Amino acid sequence: MTEAGPLVLIVEDEPPMRRFLRASLGSHGFRLVEAGSAREATAAATSHNPELILLDLGLPDGDGVELTRRLREWSRVPIIVLSARGHESDKVQALDAGADDYLTKPFGVNELLARMRVALRHAAEVGRPADPVIEIGALHIDLARRLVTRDGAEVRLTPIEFRLLAMLARNAGRMLTHRQILQEVWGPGRADETHYVRVYMASLRRKIEDDPARPRLLVTEPGVGYRLRDA
Amino acid sequence: MYVALATAAAWSARPLLALPDLVALYLLVIMAVAVRYGRGPSVVASALSVVAYDVFFIAPHYTFSVHDQRHLLTFAIMFAVGLVISHLALRIRRQEQEAEAATLRVRTEEIRSSLLSAVSHDLRTPLAAITGAGTTLRDHSDLTAHERRELLDTLCEEAERLERLVANLLDMTRLEAGALDVKREWVPVEELVGSALSRIEGRLDGRPITTEIPSDLPLAPVDPVLFEHALVNLLENALKYTPAGSPLEIAARRAGDGIELELADRGPGLPEPAESLFEKFVRHAPKGTRGVGLGLPIARGIARAHGGDVVAANRPGGGARFVLNLPLGSGAPTAVAPELEASP
Repeated sequence: MTEAGPLVLIVEDEPPMRRFLRASLGSHGFRLVEAGSAREATAAATSHNPELILLDLGLPDGDGVELTRRLREWSRVPIIVLSARGHESDKVQALDAGADDYLTKPFGVNELLARMRVALRHAAEVGRPADPVIEIGALHIDLARRLVTRDGAEVRLTPIEFRLLAMLARNAGRMLTHRQILQEVWGPGRADETHYVRVYMASLRRKIEDDPARPRLLVTEPGVGYRLRDA
Repeated sequence: MYVALATAAAWSARPLLALPDLVALYLLVIMAVAVRYGRGPSVVASALSVVAYDVFFIAPHYTFSVHDQRHLLTFAIMFAVGLVISHLALRIRRQEQEAEAATLRVRTEEIRSSLLSAVSHDLRTPLAAITGAGTTLRDHSDLTAHERRELLDTLCEEAERLERLVANLLDMTRLEAGALDVKREWVPVEELVGSALSRIEGRLDGRPITTEIPSDLPLAPVDPVLFEHALVNLLENALKYTPAGSPLEIAARRAGDGIELELADRGPGLPEPAESLFEKFVRHAPKGTRGVGLGLPIARGIARAHGGDVVAANRPGGGARFVLNLPLGSGAPTAVAPELEASP
């Protein structure tokens, strides 16, 4: 279709998955490069300089997490990890190693496109001055003035709650692991106290969600982390 | 013990019985011992019987000495017959055990093959639908837009069903092999309920759902991934067996030393006995409802792997309630936020 569509590197060894990704992404205007192994992926990433990488974690010749780590040494290209259910620790490792997001197989094409859009948008924002005001649904977050309103009414947050919400809002739509949140909000040295994050997330939900037991904004990915839905 | 009883019985019946009858009585006891306890005890019983017979019934009474030499022969024969009987009884016992083991093997085989046929049926049905829909879409270009839509929906729904089935089979296998790796973390119950509800959001079809989770409930020491799966299974079960649009109520509370999480519905209630719901591959569905009967056994398996359990009961006023209980253990971190705030 359009010639200027973003160039996507697909790293996947299963032919049916590649065929599905080729068909669905191709029809949405993406240009594609394919790799079937970690070795090919490294070569393709260097020679083609893709704008986004879709990375299957179960590669025949190596570890997708290790590949992510190596790519991150020299590239900030957004990486979306594809992985099977039940491999939560792999996903967390990949995210902590620098992957931007993940999708659990099997996934639908709409979900994939949504994640790709978010990753591309965040990559484009890097280096630009961050927008000090973020709007998500009825929520209005003014990062500079540290002011949060919901339907126009001020939401009173503690300093930690605000830092937590600000981090999620800056990364709206993206997956954040417990470790990433702990490091940014609490600082290094607290990386294993995941219940801090959970407790604060619960109190934040009580302040900004209609029903904290059925969150619409602060979505939990069990065993992995959180995502602020940017719809 | 048996010999003493026989002796007592024989003693009291002495006026009625001749000596050979007494011998027969002892042999009967030896046989009983052999059947019940095996060779060693029956040999001991044979010896004791001979001694008891001698002491109590052969003149002079209450001594080992024997006046009439013919009785010695009786003793020898009695002991020998006792040994033969015990040997025969033992062989019978062994054969019985072998037969039992064989029956058990046959039954296990039967159960296994019926499970296999249930599973393969449930795997094949969605596969058949997917193949059918896929080939129709590929090979027939004259379909109406509506027909195409129907076939595409079939493809997607059946593939999802297959995915759930495979996931459940894998979990069941892991649970049974004891290979479940429970990674406990301290998690708010509200978060667990919330992520389970959003997982099944698409299938709720606007059902009224109420949640009642006290904000001061302690954190639960659970594996968040497994525990969410247990909750999703309970919720899916409720969705499947209660009328569309009927309400679901979720409540959590402290109970004794632990936490209790309740899912109550207003459906048709439970079949009797409710325990059978937790048996693998047992389904109480009206014809046409799909599923394999693994959801509840997995939910219970996960709860038990956490030291808790899932129980089901009928609800006063109609409907069913499933209660997942979970021990808290010790060392629960406090959920009070301001304390953490002091050291950011």
